[in-house]
Amino acid sequence: MARGKAKEGDGNWKKFIWNSEKKEFLGRTGGSWFKILLFYLIFYGCLAGIFIGTIQVMLLTVSEFEPKYQDRVAPPGLTVIPRVLKTEISFSISDPKTYEEYVAGLNEFLNAYNNDQQANNMIFDDCSEKPEDYIDRGAFNNGQGQKKVCRFKREWLENCSGVLDTSYGYKDGKPCVVAKLNRVLGFKPKPPLNDSLPPEMMGKYNPYVIPIHCFAKKEEDVDKVGTVEYYGMAGYAGFPLQYYPYYGKLLQPQYLQPLLAVQFTNLTLDMEVRVECKVYGENIHYSDKDRFQGRFEVKFDIKSS
Amino acid sequence: MKKEMDVDDHQLSVEDLELKYQTNVNKGMNSTVAGEILLRDGPNELKPPKGTPEYVKFARQLAGGLQCLMWVAAAICLIAFGIQCGQGDLTSADNLYLAIALIAVVVVTGCFGYYQEFKSTNIIASFKNLVPQQATVIRDGDKFQINANQLVVGDLVEIKGGDRVPADIRIISAQGCKVDNSSLTGESEPQTRAPECTHESPLETRNIAFFSTMCLEGTATGIIVNTGDRTIIGRIASLASGVENEKTPIAIEIEHFVDIIAGLAIFFGGTFFVVAMVIGYPFLKAMVFFMAIVVAYVPEGLLATVTVCLSLTAKRLARKNCVVKNLEAVETLGSTSVICSDKTGTLTQNRMTVSHLWFDNQIHTADTTEDQSGQSFDQSSETWRALCKIVSLCNRAFFKSGQDNMPVPKRIVIGDASETALLKFSEITLGNVMEYRERYKKACEIPFNSTNKFQLSIHELEDPRDPRYLLVMKGAPERILERCATIMIKGQELPLDEQWKEAFQTAYMDLGGLGERVLGFCHLYLDPGQFPRGFSFDTEEMNFPTSGLCFAGLISMIDPPRATVPDAVMKCRTAGIRVIMVTGDHPITAKAIAASVGIISEGSETVEDIAARMRIPVEQVNKWEARACVVNGGQLKDMETEELVEILKMHPEMVFARTSPQQKLIIVESCQKLGAIVAVTGDGVNDSPALKKADIGVAMGIAGSDAAKNAADMILLDDNFASIVTGVEQGRLIFDNLKKSIAYTLTKNIPELTPYLIYITVSVPLPLGCITILFIELCTDIFPSVSLAYEKAESDIMHLKPRNPRRDRLVNEALAVYSYFQIGAIQSFAGFTDYFTAMAQEGWFPLLCVGLRAQWENDHLQDLQDSYGQEWTFGQRLYQEYTCYTVFFISIEMCQISDVLIRKTRRLSVFQQGFFRNKILVIAIVFQLCLGCFLCYCPGMPNIFNFMPIRFQWWLVPLPYGILIFVYDEIRKLGVRRHPGSWWDKELYY
Repeated sequence: MARGKAKEGDGNWKKFIWNSEKKEFLGRTGGSWFKILLFYLIFYGCLAGIFIGTIQVMLLTVSEFEPKYQDRVAPPGLTVIPRVLKTEISFSISDPKTYEEYVAGLNEFLNAYNNDQQANNMIFDDCSEKPEDYIDRGAFNNGQGQKKVCRFKREWLENCSGVLDTSYGYKDGKPCVVAKLNRVLGFKPKPPLNDSLPPEMMGKYNPYVIPIHCFAKKEEDVDKVGTVEYYGMAGYAGFPLQYYPYYGKLLQPQYLQPLLAVQFTNLTLDMEVRVECKVYGENIHYSDKDRFQGRFEVKFDIKSS
Repeated sequence: MKKEMDVDDHQLSVEDLELKYQTNVNKGMNSTVAGEILLRDGPNELKPPKGTPEYVKFARQLAGGLQCLMWVAAAICLIAFGIQCGQGDLTSADNLYLAIALIAVVVVTGCFGYYQEFKSTNIIASFKNLVPQQATVIRDGDKFQINANQLVVGDLVEIKGGDRVPADIRIISAQGCKVDNSSLTGESEPQTRAPECTHESPLETRNIAFFSTMCLEGTATGIIVNTGDRTIIGRIASLASGVENEKTPIAIEIEHFVDIIAGLAIFFGGTFFVVAMVIGYPFLKAMVFFMAIVVAYVPEGLLATVTVCLSLTAKRLARKNCVVKNLEAVETLGSTSVICSDKTGTLTQNRMTVSHLWFDNQIHTADTTEDQSGQSFDQSSETWRALCKIVSLCNRAFFKSGQDNMPVPKRIVIGDASETALLKFSEITLGNVMEYRERYKKACEIPFNSTNKFQLSIHELEDPRDPRYLLVMKGAPERILERCATIMIKGQELPLDEQWKEAFQTAYMDLGGLGERVLGFCHLYLDPGQFPRGFSFDTEEMNFPTSGLCFAGLISMIDPPRATVPDAVMKCRTAGIRVIMVTGDHPITAKAIAASVGIISEGSETVEDIAARMRIPVEQVNKWEARACVVNGGQLKDMETEELVEILKMHPEMVFARTSPQQKLIIVESCQKLGAIVAVTGDGVNDSPALKKADIGVAMGIAGSDAAKNAADMILLDDNFASIVTGVEQGRLIFDNLKKSIAYTLTKNIPELTPYLIYITVSVPLPLGCITILFIELCTDIFPSVSLAYEKAESDIMHLKPRNPRRDRLVNEALAVYSYFQIGAIQSFAGFTDYFTAMAQEGWFPLLCVGLRAQWENDHLQDLQDSYGQEWTFGQRLYQEYTCYTVFFISIEMCQISDVLIRKTRRLSVFQQGFFRNKILVIAIVFQLCLGCFLCYCPGMPNIFNFMPIRFQWWLVPLPYGILIFVYDEIRKLGVRRHPGSWWDKELYY
């Protein structure tokens, strides 16, 4: 019925915006606008009040020290440092600029592990320098103040500590990467059962270490990876248990998670080599959808010139 | 095409005709010539109206306003995906999925719409008569039976009683031929056809028989003067197709709504796009925002909902014998403010029935109801017995054999309309008439003819010992009276003096004034001496007395109104609908019927009535005093459109008589000029242009001609005008329910939109994904919104005025504002409460979330710290985001359950309406919950549709908001009920 919708010309529009006869702006007089705006002010005021109130009540039910649920964050991910775009480490030996960012990334990350950062005995605990069992530091609350933290010395990473070789082996085409297990509050990683490990790792087995193993992602790359050196506490290729469990940001603000440096000393140059590192443990799982859960992957592309 | 017919063949002499059409009135045409003409003119059949090709129909379904918006959105998704692919970023195929989903939605809803249209087209197709018509034609001097579509102009054809006239025919010779022109002119009386030209108008003259009318009795030969689309009927039919289809009000409403929505969607999308670009998002990302907002804003399921609502009502109407051809017409009926009704067959029964009798100087009323349930009159008088005898004997009509078990009114009678009426009348009052006639053997008979204006027969008496003959006569009352010397009063023969003549005149005028056809009856017992048994009566010589008879009484007949009509007209009145009668019949008859069905209400007077009452000339009457008005087709012809509009404004009760098809069209247009939504009811071909022009055309299923059914939007299978009232009620209900349904559908746009708003402005991780929005729109919320179509009316909607299509919109400001800014806002808060709860309980406190977006969405960052210092990989964060989507989804669902409950009523409390009265709605809510559970907990969902299994308590978080919505709306309704007209009512009643 096009005829019902008679031409509503521009005049009507202008009139709608400001009707001088009735003193109406957008179809309402000033008083009408005042009333309706007041109504919405009250309405939204009440709603916002209810909203904030509900959120506050909800927050009361959530502890500051311990998350209510961890089903999304555990089992933990395995992170690699330097953080690289598209998981690709690509540089040329002759040109330091090409690996500058990797070195900077490692430096930045490892600064927290400098000895001078760990001087305070009130915060840092003298844990054993050999892998040992979990250290239980009590309940997840601040009843006893902050919790102490085990020291982790940067030197333990040896060639990859950046102390001796400030280029972390990049200038020699022997790149280091540092692996860490993502922090999960209260999580106690369980070492793998002896028989579930790949045979090549059986030699270095320690019941208090969560082992890591790096290998070629593809069968045909096996020869190209060459030797892989692992530097960690007491020479074990893994994370010692005494650093666990983690007590959270509030109770352990300076927490240092154990690290493991991996150096590829004999990588085939001028070729893409895919390497995967996996952490092994009874309560560590892998997922097809999340490629950083319990493992990570790095693609090396090192140019000799 | 709005000019009167110009045909002059009826005025030509036979010789001229032979010349004009190269034919011969005895031998017919030469068959070779006929073949050539057939090639030239084409077959003698009405061309079906041009259909739209199927692929165009389908394409139209895919290219509506909202669909186009969806196509754009899908295209953006595809482009985004393409660019991502080009950059080698294969982390998510979300955009591809989304594009596929959007296209699927458009195609599926398109198919659905197409299927609905296809179905209704099929209904129309099934109406077409597939049986070929045969005709008797004389060619080269021989008679042939050929298919009527092979006839050409100039062919000599024969028609006989029971045939359909195969083309427009100029009659050459006729024997008692009568045709039923009711489908063309609306006259229910059979029309005589004869070779003489009696009127200059081709429609009025007697020597033309029209295509598709029925020949009732007699035979005729004639020359075909027009075939196919050039026949009068064909022109009217093409007149109908020349009238473009008006858009239905609901279509306009929906268009209006789509305009608003599309405008809002593009406005918001554009704003967000600009804001996103200004803030510094990459172009691609900003485009995806734009698309997401369009998806959130477009109510994808709305068109499906509307279609389902309409087809549900159509089904409900079909159960009440109204077939709806055009779904949207259902609602149109609800907004109808004027019904232009044809008289014959719609308001009346389309059969002559004895309605009044005058004998013993008293008018008696006969029972005219369809099922003979009415009161009968006093039958004890002697005069009645005499009259009854005359009625039974002086009648040539007879029942077709083998119908003894059928109720009398339904039996088929051979004979003309008034004889049929009299036969049925006497059959009902007297019993077996056929046997009665056997007992009174007929000695001789003179049939009715136009010069005598009477019919006469002479019978032997039943008693063999009584040697007298009985002469019975009926005819035009004044002619009968002339021949009478006495009058029978209470069985006594009294001399017919001036006093009785006066009484006769009064009665005759009274009955004539009722618009009825009056016949007089008289008899005479012949002197046995002069006319002994075996006397040879000669009908040519008339060797028996035909004057000095004894007058028995008058009987009047009318095509009576249907029993249900007065009540239905009354209901229309209370519903604020004006009923206008438009008929081709005589003004007096039309007025009488109008008065008896209530179209002219009791106490209403026309200008002429007032003039007669006050004994002043018509010109002096104040026209505004006359509520009623009868306009003649002749007057209408000389009237300007403005004048007609003026008259329509001046007199609320209108009757148009003697109208032509063109005039019907003009009347409908004039009503529409007044801003009315016009429904037209009709059955004849003559009604079809008006049916088409009307906002809703209603054709009669039984009496209706194919042309009328073709032009109509709705068909009343039982020809019952009262069904229209049901239709109006359903139409109004559907408008209310659609309003509720749309309010429900609109509400969730806001909680779908606000997550994006907050996401862009405050940079929290995205609370609600696009695919999830699609699931809300197309999956979970469809059934509840459809279920509102089953809601009962809140109050007596038939006591309200029809809605004003310009003011009372389907989607008005109050509805949109209340849905968006109040209920929608509460729902958004519910969603965000649940979102922040799920985030906080997993380790992300609300304040940390603010500004987190960039890091959260960085897929190279595998150790993002939460509020506890825990480190999350990108994949873990993604699943957490999906959890948020799901939680937000569930919040919207929970609030929507509350929403559907409050939408049950707009004014009444839900407690007054009853929670469980609408079973479908209860089932819909259960279904919605089950679907929600399925989406959350079905394995595999996280990776396909981004749904995560969520914790039970997150279902409960939005509950308080749901209760808040319910309570708030009850308060609103209470205020609206308690304080009608107040500020609260004005602002919050939608």
